[in-house]
Amino acid sequence: MRILWNRLSSALLVLCAASFITFTLARVIPSDPALAYIGPKATAADSAKLRITLGLDQPIPIQYFKYVWQTLHGNWGYSLSTKQPVLQEIIDRLPATLELIFFAMSFAVIFGVAMGVYAAKYRGRLQDSVIRILAIAGVSMPAFWLGLLLQMLFAGRLAWFPATGQFDIDLKYDNPITKVTGFPIFDSIITGNFAATLNGLHHMVLPALTLSAYSFGLLSRMARANLLEVMSQDYIKVARAYGLSERLVFFKLALRNALPPIVTVTGLSTAYLITGTFFVEQVYNWPGIGSFAVNSLLSIDYPAIMGITLLAAVGYLVINFIVDLIHAKLDPRVWMR
Amino acid sequence: MSMKTAFSSPRVRLIAVISTALLAVASLSIPTVAQGAGVFKVATSAAVTTWDPVQSFSTEAFYMTNIYEPLLWKNPDGVTPEYSPALATSWSSSKDGKTWTFKLRAGATFHDGSPVNSAAVKASFDSSKKIGGAGFIWDPLKSVETPSDDTVVLNLSYAAPMDLIASSTYGAYIVNPKALAAVAADSKYYESGKDGGSGPYTISSYKAGSSVVLSAYGKHWATDKPDYSTIDISIVPDGITAQQMMTSGQVDWSTNIPLTSMATLKKNKKYSVIQYKSPFNYVGYFNTLRAPLNNPVVRQALSMALNYRDIAAIGGQGYATQARGPVPAGIYPYDPAIPQYSMARAKAKTMLDRAGVKNLTIKITYASENSAEARFVPLIKDAFAAIGVTAEVQGILFNQQWAAAKKDPANAQDLFIVKYWPTYSDAGVDNLWSLFHSSAKPFFNLSYWKNAAYDKLVDDAIELSGSDKAAAQKLYSQAMMMLYTEAPGLYLYDEAQVSVVPKKFSIPKYNINYPFSAFFAGVKLS
Repeated sequence: MRILWNRLSSALLVLCAASFITFTLARVIPSDPALAYIGPKATAADSAKLRITLGLDQPIPIQYFKYVWQTLHGNWGYSLSTKQPVLQEIIDRLPATLELIFFAMSFAVIFGVAMGVYAAKYRGRLQDSVIRILAIAGVSMPAFWLGLLLQMLFAGRLAWFPATGQFDIDLKYDNPITKVTGFPIFDSIITGNFAATLNGLHHMVLPALTLSAYSFGLLSRMARANLLEVMSQDYIKVARAYGLSERLVFFKLALRNALPPIVTVTGLSTAYLITGTFFVEQVYNWPGIGSFAVNSLLSIDYPAIMGITLLAAVGYLVINFIVDLIHAKLDPRVWMR
Repeated sequence: MSMKTAFSSPRVRLIAVISTALLAVASLSIPTVAQGAGVFKVATSAAVTTWDPVQSFSTEAFYMTNIYEPLLWKNPDGVTPEYSPALATSWSSSKDGKTWTFKLRAGATFHDGSPVNSAAVKASFDSSKKIGGAGFIWDPLKSVETPSDDTVVLNLSYAAPMDLIASSTYGAYIVNPKALAAVAADSKYYESGKDGGSGPYTISSYKAGSSVVLSAYGKHWATDKPDYSTIDISIVPDGITAQQMMTSGQVDWSTNIPLTSMATLKKNKKYSVIQYKSPFNYVGYFNTLRAPLNNPVVRQALSMALNYRDIAAIGGQGYATQARGPVPAGIYPYDPAIPQYSMARAKAKTMLDRAGVKNLTIKITYASENSAEARFVPLIKDAFAAIGVTAEVQGILFNQQWAAAKKDPANAQDLFIVKYWPTYSDAGVDNLWSLFHSSAKPFFNLSYWKNAAYDKLVDDAIELSGSDKAAAQKLYSQAMMMLYTEAPGLYLYDEAQVSVVPKKFSIPKYNINYPFSAFFAGVKLS
C-alpha cells in the first residue's frame, strides 16, 4: 500500500510540474494567442477584446491557477485553431492513435522479441547479423524519414498500400462504420462490417510499421542480449547437466528470466510511441492525437498543447505503473525492495 | 523434439514467415470499397478558423464561397463584364458615387428555405460593419435603406466602389437573419458547422481540423445544378501528403501541392499544371525608425544589393516575377510603369560609403512556416554581405514575428519579411494604406514609416476611387512612385498561383479576387 501511495504521490508531482512548465513556456514565448484565435488580419481592437475574453490580460500565476481549477473540472479550454473544446478534440482523436499504437506495439513485441530470441539462438551467424542490421536500422532511422520511404515505395511505386488516411474516403458512403466504442477497426469487427475492417487494416500497415520500427529494434536487441546473459548463468548450466530438454531450458527457464527487463522496455517504448505518433501521423495524415499535436505546435495553440502534454504525461505515468505491476508479477522481489 | 530440431532449418522458417506476411499483404491489398457516387474528393490545407461568415477573415474562405454568396462576384482580371450577378441582379450608383442601389434576385433562398430579401442584406452589412472580421471594408457605409423587399440602397459618407466592396471575399456575405440572431445569443452557434447561407452547397458535416463535407443545396437559384452532390474535403496541412493523396487516387483533386513538385507533375499526362496571377506579394519592411535605415539613401542602396531574379526563382520556384512595389500585378491599382530596383552592387557600395555607413549589421526576421521565405531569405543575406552589410537572420512563427514587431518598434527587427495580400481586390485601400500609411500604433505598417505627402495621396485616391477610378489610379501611381524613391520596403516578388488540375475533371479557373476559394458548383467530369 505504501508503494502504491509513493507511486501516486510522485505521479501527482510529475503532473503538476509538467503542467506548470508547459503553461509557463506557452505564455512567455513572444506570440499573441488572441491573434491565433481570430486570424492574422484581425484588427488590433478585435485582438484586444479577445485577450480580455480569453483571460490573457490577467497575471500569469492567476491564469495558471484558473487553468488548473478548470482542468480538474473537465474544462481543458478551447483550441485556438479548431475552436472546439480541447478535451473533446482529444477524446475524438484518441481512439485512432490508440489503435495505431496497439498495432505498432503488437508488431514490435511479437516480431521484436521473436527476432531477438532467434538471433540469440544463432549468435554470430548470418541470421544474427541480418537481425542486428534490421534492429539498428529500426532504432536509428527517424520515423518521418522511414515513413516517407515506405510511402514512396509501397504506396507510390508498388501501389500495395494507401499512402495516407485511416480509411478510404469512399468507405463512409459505401460501408459506413457504426460507432460503438469509438475505436473504428474494433467497431467494424464487432458490427460485422468486414469491408471496413479490411480497409482499415490495409491503411494501418504502413503507419504501424513505421511507428513500430524503433520499438522493434530496441526489443529485438534487448531480447537477444538478455537471453544470452541468462543462458550463460550457472543455473542454466546445471539444468542442462541434469538433462532437461533444450526447449524446456530455453523457453521455461531462460526466457522467463529474461522477460522482466523486456517488459520494462516494452512499457517505456509504448509510452515513447505516444510522442512517436507526432511524426508518423503527420506523414500519413492519420486523424489522431499526433497530427493534432503537430498542428497545435505549429500554430502555438497553447490550450491544445497543454492538453496534449497533460495527456502524454498521464499516459507515461499510467503505462509505467502498469509496467511496475507486471514486473512485480514476474519478479515478486520487486515488492520487497 | 529437441530445441536443436525446432530450429534446425532456419532458412525454411524465415521463408515461411516472409511468405505468410506477403500473403497477408496480398489479401489486404485487394480493393474492398467501391467508388462513392456523386462525391468529389478534395485535399486542401485550408483550415477553418471560424464558421461565422461575419467574423471570417482567413483560409475558411475556401469553403465559405460555396456556402454563402455576396451581392456580386468579381470576375478575374481582364474578363468582361467586371462582375457577375450573385444575389443582386442589377446595380447602379449616383454620379457622385455616394449612393448605390442593388436589385435583389427573385427566388433566392437561404438553406432553411427563407427568402433572401433586403432586410437580410441590411442585417448582414450592419452586422459586418459592427463586429465583422473585415468590418473595415464598410467604413464608407453610412446607412442601408430597404425601400422594398428586393431593393437595397447604400448611402455612403464618401464615394467608394461599392460594387467592388460588395464582392469582397470577406465581410460581404449575405447571411440569414435567423443565424445572425442565433450567433448574437450564442457566440458558439456556428462552431459545430452550422450555416446561414444561400450558396450552392451547405455544410453536411465538419470534423475540426480533419474534414468538411458539403452537400448540394437543392433549391439554389442557379439553373445549372452542380454535377457533384457531395464535396468531401480532407484538411491536409502537408503538401507532399496532399500530392500523394491525389496521385494515388485517394482524392480527386489536391489544392496545396508544393511548387517543388510541379516539374514532376508537368510530365504526368494525367494532370495539367496551370499558372495564374495571384494577389500574393512579398515585401520586406525596413525599420525606418532606426539609423541608418532612417536614411532613404541607405534603403535604396540595400534595395540595389538584391538579385531579384534569383530571389523570385528560388522563392517562387520559377513561378514568380519581380514585384513593382507592394501592389501585385492583376490587382487594382497595379501600374506597370512603376520602376523596379535592379542589382547594382558597386553603386550600392558607393552610396553606403557616401552615407557614412560602415560595419552595418541588420536583423532580418521571416515567418518560419513559410517555406518560400525560408528559401529566399538566405539570398538577401548573401546580397547584403556582398556590399559589406552583415545580416542576422531569424526565422520564427509569423505570430511571434508580428507580435515582436508591434510590441517595441524602436528595438524590433531591421528588416521584416512578409507575404501580403489585399482583403478584397483593391490594393490601394489595403496594401498601399495598410502597409505604408502612417499609423499611431503599428499594425501592418511595420516599416513604421511616416510620410504626410504619401498619406495624402493615398487618402485622396481612396475617396476618388468610388467616383473616378482613373483619377484615383493617377494618385495611387504617384504614391507608388514615392514608395520606389523613398524605399521604406524591399519589393521582392509577386507569387504566381499554380494549380494542378486532373485532366479527368473540368475545374473552374482560379479567380485572383478569391484567392483561397474553389467554386465546386462548376466542377464537372471532362
